[in-house]
Amino acid sequence: MTTAGSAAARAARRPALRAGPLAHRLAARALTGLVVLLLVFFVLGPLVWLTLWAFAGPWTYPSLTPQSWTLNWWRLVFSTPGLERSIELSLLFAPVVTAASALICLPAAYAFGRLSFPGRRLLLVSLFATNAFPKIGLYITMAGLFFSLHLMSTFLGVVLVQLIGTVVFMTWIPAAAFASVPRSLEEAARDVGAGRLRTFWQVTVPLALPGILVAVILSFLASFDEAQGTFLVGTPTYVTMPIQMYSLVLNYPQQVAAVFSILLSVPSVLLMLLVRRHVMGGHLAEGFQLR
Amino acid sequence: MSPGRGGEGALGRRLVGLAMVLPPVALVFFLVGFPIVVAIGYSLGHVGGLNSAVSAIAQHQVAVGGGIGTLEAYREVLTSHQFLTDLVATLWVTALSTALVVLLAWGIGLYLRLSESRAAKALSALSVVPLFIPVVIASYALLAFWSGGGFVRSAAAHLGMARFPILGYTLPGVVIGQVWVNLPFGVLMISSGLQRVPTALIDAARDVGASLARTTLSVLVPMNLVPTVIVVTFTAIAVLGSFTVPYLIGPTAPTLLGPQATVTFQSFNEPQQAEVVAMVLFLLAVGVGSAYVRATMRGERVPELAS
Repeated sequence: MTTAGSAAARAARRPALRAGPLAHRLAARALTGLVVLLLVFFVLGPLVWLTLWAFAGPWTYPSLTPQSWTLNWWRLVFSTPGLERSIELSLLFAPVVTAASALICLPAAYAFGRLSFPGRRLLLVSLFATNAFPKIGLYITMAGLFFSLHLMSTFLGVVLVQLIGTVVFMTWIPAAAFASVPRSLEEAARDVGAGRLRTFWQVTVPLALPGILVAVILSFLASFDEAQGTFLVGTPTYVTMPIQMYSLVLNYPQQVAAVFSILLSVPSVLLMLLVRRHVMGGHLAEGFQLR
Repeated sequence: MSPGRGGEGALGRRLVGLAMVLPPVALVFFLVGFPIVVAIGYSLGHVGGLNSAVSAIAQHQVAVGGGIGTLEAYREVLTSHQFLTDLVATLWVTALSTALVVLLAWGIGLYLRLSESRAAKALSALSVVPLFIPVVIASYALLAFWSGGGFVRSAAAHLGMARFPILGYTLPGVVIGQVWVNLPFGVLMISSGLQRVPTALIDAARDVGASLARTTLSVLVPMNLVPTVIVVTFTAIAVLGSFTVPYLIGPTAPTLLGPQATVTFQSFNEPQQAEVVAMVLFLLAVGVGSAYVRATMRGERVPELAS
């Protein structure tokens, strides 16, 4: 474990983790390596295993690799018309829901982050209701509401049901981002003659952009992954990828579900890689600290 | 999207603020708050109005003509053996998953705070990977990995442990799934909180001879209490209300109350009983959530006093 080795060596130079006797350092090094390995096994193991399945022919326990390899499952998935349609639908709903969510929530995020008005904290916390009530309980009564409003099996109905899961992300995270923009920078811009709008677009927005981007991606993924509400409101007209996934898991060989899993993960992984730095940089964490 | 017209006095500014937050608040009221009120009515036996569409197809429901309603549906559900075993399962799975997420997140967060090594960075990068993967897929991958014919048992068999337990379709398997899915949020919250603890403070404690454990307990834990409470509440609420992980990984019975409510509605066609289960989950979530609200409100006052 060279990684853990140099890690321990460098850690030893830091004041917080001081160098002990050699035996201690070796033990610490071994322990670190073991922990990293365990986490690799725990986090990545299932994903690697599923990826292998996507290219597997027959594969029986307790063999650690398939008896043969094949690309047939990929051909099968791409030649099934229903599956392709569900990919299209998912790629249609997610951007629409994200855009609608941004339109509805971003002005509010600005107000929560920058303005003071009566009931600000209470309203900010009240959005949390979307997380606290079990979704199925909501959907049952929402179905009654949607029936009366003729929203069942409609595009708008699915958009509304998917919107619920995006509100907290799209309000809380950008609100914290707006709140952390230093007022002195805006004042400086105003001092050199920039108008209110120009200051907003050229100073405030660019500084808050990483937080907004994190919120946009998380909202996109929340919509993209939503299955339960879409199933109740959208089927049989709108069968998105996650809903297909449930039926694949139950009705097809494991290899088909594995192929589909990889396809379904591609947008998520690509988008998350885009904002990984900002998510790790604390924008997600900031958003949940309600200030 | 004008950023507030601040010049026109405090009242105008306040109204602008309220007007700007109205859309999401109205959306949540219409799609969440209002359905909750309707659901409460339905669980108490009010089958008319907006509940008529659901109650027309429902089986086995309790109805009242008027008044406050009846607790008959609650009595029936809360005394059933299945509900009680599911409730017990839900409580221990939630408690165990939350505890494991907090412990793991603290371990990774501490290591990341006290060491800038590559191993620390690798750990933190690894721990957010689940954020990249849709929950349906994660559950399916975990099931395949830990199931009877999965990697873990195959590897154990090669190592001579042919009787290694099957974790697919078991509650411990559900705990594994919940930890996997909820780990990124925990690590992000706790490590970002720990990064904010001033290094001078940690070094000061170490300089007067405090051990690493002592420094953690007396300096880092108190300084990072709010993020920890946030992780506890959000993880607990996420596990309580979860559907996909226990539905795909868990056993048919006993299962968690989330999938149980869904099955009660979709398979047994008993929406009223499903709503009663949802109410129980909601009350549990509100109980946990109030800890979060209190913690963040208290955390709020400090910067206010300082400024």
